[in-house]
Amino acid sequence: MTTVQHAAEGAAHSTASIAPGGNGLHAASGGRRDAGHTRPWGTITAFLLPALIIYVAFTAYPAFRTIWNSFHKVLPRREEAVGLANYTELVGDEIFWRSVRNTITWACTSPLIEVSIALLLALALYARVPGARFFRVAWFTPVLMSYVVVGILWLWIYNFDWGPLNVALRALGLGGWTKAWLGDPHTALPSLIFVTSWMWVGFNMVVLLAALHSLPKEVIEAAELDNCGWGAKLVFVIFPLIRATLLNLIVLSFIGKMKIFDLVWITTKGNPLWATETVSTYVYKRAFEWTTFDLGYPSTIAAVWFVIVLSAVLILTWVFRLREKLEY
Amino acid sequence: MPALKRALLLIVLCFYTAFAAGPFVWAAMMSLRTTTEIHRNHFAPPIPAHWDKFAEAWFNSNYSLYFANSTQIVVSAVVMLTIIGSMAAHCLARYRFRLNRIIYFVLFSTIIFPPQITIISLFQILVQYGLYNSKIGLTLVYVAIQLPLTIYILESFFARIPSDLFDAARIDGYSDWEIFWRVSLPIALPAVSTTVILNFILLWNEFLYAVVLITEEANRTLPLGIQRFIGDTQEDVGMIATGLMIAIIPVVVVYAFFSERLIQGMTAGAVK
Repeated sequence: MTTVQHAAEGAAHSTASIAPGGNGLHAASGGRRDAGHTRPWGTITAFLLPALIIYVAFTAYPAFRTIWNSFHKVLPRREEAVGLANYTELVGDEIFWRSVRNTITWACTSPLIEVSIALLLALALYARVPGARFFRVAWFTPVLMSYVVVGILWLWIYNFDWGPLNVALRALGLGGWTKAWLGDPHTALPSLIFVTSWMWVGFNMVVLLAALHSLPKEVIEAAELDNCGWGAKLVFVIFPLIRATLLNLIVLSFIGKMKIFDLVWITTKGNPLWATETVSTYVYKRAFEWTTFDLGYPSTIAAVWFVIVLSAVLILTWVFRLREKLEY
Repeated sequence: MPALKRALLLIVLCFYTAFAAGPFVWAAMMSLRTTTEIHRNHFAPPIPAHWDKFAEAWFNSNYSLYFANSTQIVVSAVVMLTIIGSMAAHCLARYRFRLNRIIYFVLFSTIIFPPQITIISLFQILVQYGLYNSKIGLTLVYVAIQLPLTIYILESFFARIPSDLFDAARIDGYSDWEIFWRVSLPIALPAVSTTVILNFILLWNEFLYAVVLITEEANRTLPLGIQRFIGDTQEDVGMIATGLMIAIIPVVVVYAFFSERLIQGMTAGAVK
């Protein structure tokens, strides 16, 4: 198909308000999406169709089917409508609530730990430390490794007999503090939260450092001229300016932790005593590990969790927006 | 006094570097040592270095197969993502039509979906269409999960290309496809390469979808291979470390060459 054809189509479909001209060129060319001609549906469809097909087939349709499943009992060769039975069962499912508690604990603590350590490190590099480039590249590495690799590495680090953590504790004469970090219900979840923080601090640091470097120089210089101390400069000048980035990172980290699966699956599989069970691992277990063969109930968990994650993210962004409005 | 402060700060930063990169260095050392050597001393340097362990893992523990599968799946997914994603992003950035922002928003919002909402029915759907346990099935799913992020990054870049350029191209008689292929895409090459690298690394490391959709040994990707391997040989720390390094090396190579671009890509979504 040629341009002219499209232009003609565009002209034919458009209303009278569109600028005339057979070649479809617009008089005004300032607008962001204000391109050559308006609504050449053939071209638009051709460009978008592959993406939309993939999206509908592998994202939208499966999502709707999961919600449909959640009202059914789905056995290998049989499907049977059960109404809200799965949902009522879910309300009384203690393991589910335990996994929700674990996941939310994770999603609420991790962002704060990650972002605050990352901010300290970013400020350190911002103060023109020698070798800043090297530090930046080195700190970023953990996030490049898969959770599978990270999980195995930290299984070793937490190993009771020869893991570096316990070895270090013994070397420091704190032998009494050694334990099987991932085997003890009290320390298993905090230990895993620590691993994700180790992994993501570098990423957050890099983003914050980029935000710091893009701050207007004049503002900071003005603060320095006013004899503003480091602490005051940080709280009153830098902090408000990078607030949006900080909040974005918190939301991003929150979303990531609400989805967490791989790390738990490789290290503890939710043990000991459901101490590290997350919603993701529980859904997986109910769908593919337990011999109930029913895909309906895990779909119910997925649907409920989907709603929880979505509303949590919406509330978070809404609260952050609200505070922004109040301040200005 | 400032010099002392600075030195103190540097020491703290070096400690953090050891903490951040230490586990990786440790695994690299162990990958070159045998398990008996490791159990004698877990933290000794790899002298003598047993490079043959890599050959052993590669040929005797099926890592060549996992590596080939991972490469095949990830490369084809990334190629499809780049073409499909940049076509869609170009369209959303350049053409003005009524559904534009709705389509953009719908695609973009899937970034926050927890994977569970699709994964169980994806399993059913792929079984139905005979794509379960196949590389093609996993490849298509990979394209689907990375598509929103790819379109998001590319759209914001395409949208910044001045539209005068397109008008000029049109006057020169370029068709819509030629404008995309010969104007948009070359200009957006930095953004495109960012998404290529980003998608490569994220998919190379992907585990959840692979573990649900692949069960056959012949189709296992590297993360699945490693998981199977630790299941089989719980105690053979040395060989597991070698396997880990085989999985990490491609990522490290990409990172060594494109660290800046990659950092840009990973932070692109966060800064906005």
